[in-house]
Amino acid sequence: MKTIFDITQSVKDGSVTAREVVLESLRRIKELNPQINAFVETWSEEALQRADEIDARRNRGEKLGPLAGVPVGIKDNILYKGHKATCCSKMLANYVAPYSASVVEKLLAADAVIVGRTNMDEFAMGSSNQTSVYGPVHNPVDFDRVPGGSSGGSAAAVAAGMVPLALGTDTGGSVRQPAAFCGVVGIKPGYGRISRYGVVAFSSSADQVGVLTNDVSSAALALEVLCGRDENDSTSLEDAVPPFTDKIHQDIKGLKVGMPKGFLDDLGEEVKEKILSAAQTLQNLGAEIVEVDVPHAKYSAPCYYIITSAEASSNLARFDGLRYGYNNPSATDLNASYELNRAPFGEEVKKRIIIGATALKAENYKECYLQAAKVRELIKQDFAKAFEQVDVILTPTSPTTAFRLGEHKDNPLAVYLADLYTCQGNIGGLAGISVPCGEDKLGLPIGLQFYGPILQEEKILNVAYQFEKAL
Amino acid sequence: MRLDQDHATTCARSAKIALTENEAQKYQSQLQELFAWVKQLSSVDVSAVEETAAVRAAYLRPDEPVTDEALVQTLVGAFSDKEGTCAKVKKVL
Repeated sequence: MKTIFDITQSVKDGSVTAREVVLESLRRIKELNPQINAFVETWSEEALQRADEIDARRNRGEKLGPLAGVPVGIKDNILYKGHKATCCSKMLANYVAPYSASVVEKLLAADAVIVGRTNMDEFAMGSSNQTSVYGPVHNPVDFDRVPGGSSGGSAAAVAAGMVPLALGTDTGGSVRQPAAFCGVVGIKPGYGRISRYGVVAFSSSADQVGVLTNDVSSAALALEVLCGRDENDSTSLEDAVPPFTDKIHQDIKGLKVGMPKGFLDDLGEEVKEKILSAAQTLQNLGAEIVEVDVPHAKYSAPCYYIITSAEASSNLARFDGLRYGYNNPSATDLNASYELNRAPFGEEVKKRIIIGATALKAENYKECYLQAAKVRELIKQDFAKAFEQVDVILTPTSPTTAFRLGEHKDNPLAVYLADLYTCQGNIGGLAGISVPCGEDKLGLPIGLQFYGPILQEEKILNVAYQFEKAL
Repeated sequence: MRLDQDHATTCARSAKIALTENEAQKYQSQLQELFAWVKQLSSVDVSAVEETAAVRAAYLRPDEPVTDEALVQTLVGAFSDKEGTCAKVKKVL
């Protein structure tokens, strides 16, 4: 599928209609979704009606928005008024959004066309999209492999050419890691850049909305539309949003790219080779590679699992059948009512809630949650110091390429370690982008990640765009 | 940290989640493995850390009361049984 720049340009100049673009997207979904399972629901008629409205406005000579006619998939934890939003959980099987998320309002205001909701790990908890109540997503590159997660449906939908743009959410790498596994671009802006109003909360100090696209310029355009202050989200930032689509074209001569000491030590040969080759490409473009030290970053994964699980145990308390979620009428007392109503949570969600409840127990709080929170502060300080020396930091997105469906079924710790390089960004509130940098011997995509300081997304978009062009 | 035999069940109960015996056994071993892994955090010297606040201080909107009549009507309209702006909800038990 074309980039979103090509699509909007064609819709605006009339060389193609929004209806034709949306029809092609729906055709691809119909053809490929039975094998890939990226979409859990499509809204075909509504999407076509909206496309017709956009075409009619163009025919009347009205100015169209920056995403005119672009078909978009939204992750199933993002609310779209009047449409189901289930977080791919039995708990919310019949939940219909009573209002739209701010990101959905922004997409619609930009004349995008939302075609459906995408598959995900239940409540965004997982790195392989195998915990969805709708069944796993299959990686479009190899149907026997996972697409990554938790925004696996969004990444697979873009990789399979079903949509040129999909929204995901990223709490520990859930946009960037599936982007790497599926061979597309995924960006999580810094904490607070995009409103989370209308996005189902998992871990409030780490959650961010991100975008998945086929190329960096499309990601830049989508971010321009989505970033910015929202009165309905007190954590959204007031700072002005730069023109990302202009900034990406700057050359990167003299740009200082940090490579953290020891980050490549435990990597497999093929991923390591591609990362080193990427560093060489950046040097050829005039960037300077500088070794940086982020000594506490190695603690990011355990830190992440304690903090986010603790926040999840609190955020998901609302799914008790009384405020939200499944209600079992057979209970005879209040405790039984809660337990019966919360029974539909899947295995991974229950486990994270229990981890969180354990970490927050009075006798464990200091040793467990508070210690993790303090280590988090050290990790943030490490990155802040590193960004005094360099403009961006380069890492692998994931230590491996996409693994086989069911491969780590009895070893959840192995799956947790797949987030090693990405969860640092959420722990530190950094902006991070994953861009394809090659393939392994099996033809599976490898992702390269750039980190930038908060409020400097333009730097990582710029370096990622120049790298993409040079590859 | 205490992670005795009943741990998974006890913690699950505090989170209002009931576990079957099989689930409790499975979670028990996974939790033991996870918390053993997490224990590496206790080796980090955090004595110099004072602040543990959020990633970045939130910009809070002014603390002023807001009346949104349309929202009131939307919320009340979602209930089939209502009187004025009061909605009747089903009994909990």
